[in-house]
Amino acid sequence: MALKFLVVDDSVTMRRIVINSLKNLGFNEYVEASDGRDALGKLSADPNINFVITDWNMPGLSGLELTKAIRGDATWGKLPILMVTTRGVKEDIIEALTARVSDYIVKPFTPQILKEKIETLLSRQ
Amino acid sequence: MQEEMLEKPQESNSMSKVFERLSDLKSIFKFGEKIVPIIQSLVEFMREIIPLLETINSSISDSTKKMPMAANQIADVTSATELATTQILDLVDDIGIALNNIESGLIQDEENRAKVAHLLAVIKEKVGPVHAAQAELDEVYDLVISSQLKESSIQLIEAIKDDTYKITLSLQVQDITAQQLAAVNHLIESVNNRLTMLVQDINQSDIRSEFLPEDFSGGGIHFDPNASYTKTEGKQDVADAIVQESRRVNN
Repeated sequence: MALKFLVVDDSVTMRRIVINSLKNLGFNEYVEASDGRDALGKLSADPNINFVITDWNMPGLSGLELTKAIRGDATWGKLPILMVTTRGVKEDIIEALTARVSDYIVKPFTPQILKEKIETLLSRQ
Repeated sequence: MQEEMLEKPQESNSMSKVFERLSDLKSIFKFGEKIVPIIQSLVEFMREIIPLLETINSSISDSTKKMPMAANQIADVTSATELATTQILDLVDDIGIALNNIESGLIQDEENRAKVAHLLAVIKEKVGPVHAAQAELDEVYDLVISSQLKESSIQLIEAIKDDTYKITLSLQVQDITAQQLAAVNHLIESVNNRLTMLVQDINQSDIRSEFLPEDFSGGGIHFDPNASYTKTEGKQDVADAIVQESRRVNN
């Protein structure tokens, strides 16, 4: 089945940058969401989504809360979740891993890092 | 007689108490003499300080009034940079589309030149061994075949595409600065709240409802106060090390 990404970020700029990067890597299937709550709605509406890339700091439902919600759901619980955030301190990374994000990217990211992380997560599935 | 004898020591006791009180009073007057100039100085000081305190109060009130405006201006900067970034991203997308069109055109041109070369070969064969015409046909054939336009142009196009992609990635700075500005706005809001409370305590007046706009936090951006834009991958290396360690422990 083709990869379909859910790109979650409250910044329009960041969503476009992540999507441009995905297209550059040859991934053309994606859905956008502006916060965690929106993302849960998109997940419910589209069963073909099989990879989540999310920011942390968002209004409403944060990326961390979104991760917990996904992990607690029987349908989406095993989706790969890549957190892309400015939060680079050790405590934050540990908190994200405790919430069971699959991997962690600190902004600003490079295309190589995004590629590596996606490939690693796909190979682990 | 016996009663008189008993009353005398009592009288003497009372008198000594009166003297004690008088002595205390004397001390108080002496202290009063010393303290009065100090109290006078204090009154003078208060006279001088009160206008100064009023100035400070008025200055705090003015600053408090200006803070929401500063916060709104910061929010405006965020909106403007986001708009500008979106426009740049639109232009980068347009450049990408144009480059793809040029690339397609070059590929089409290459195919056309291959067809021309094939037709020239057919013509050469049909014309036969006429010396002069053969030489010209050979020349045209060589010109068509030897063109390096496609290769060099495609290399150039790929380089431009790479550069435009780098521009796109650099625009992550907009998201990061937006978070930094939101953190500054949050700080302004905190200071404003403290100053407002202080002014309210002094004046017993409610300036908050008068001066604060409803949306003071600058567009409700959720921010990381430590957000920073750096080209080094130090933070990513730290994250990778923690993720690796976490995986090792879990496996």
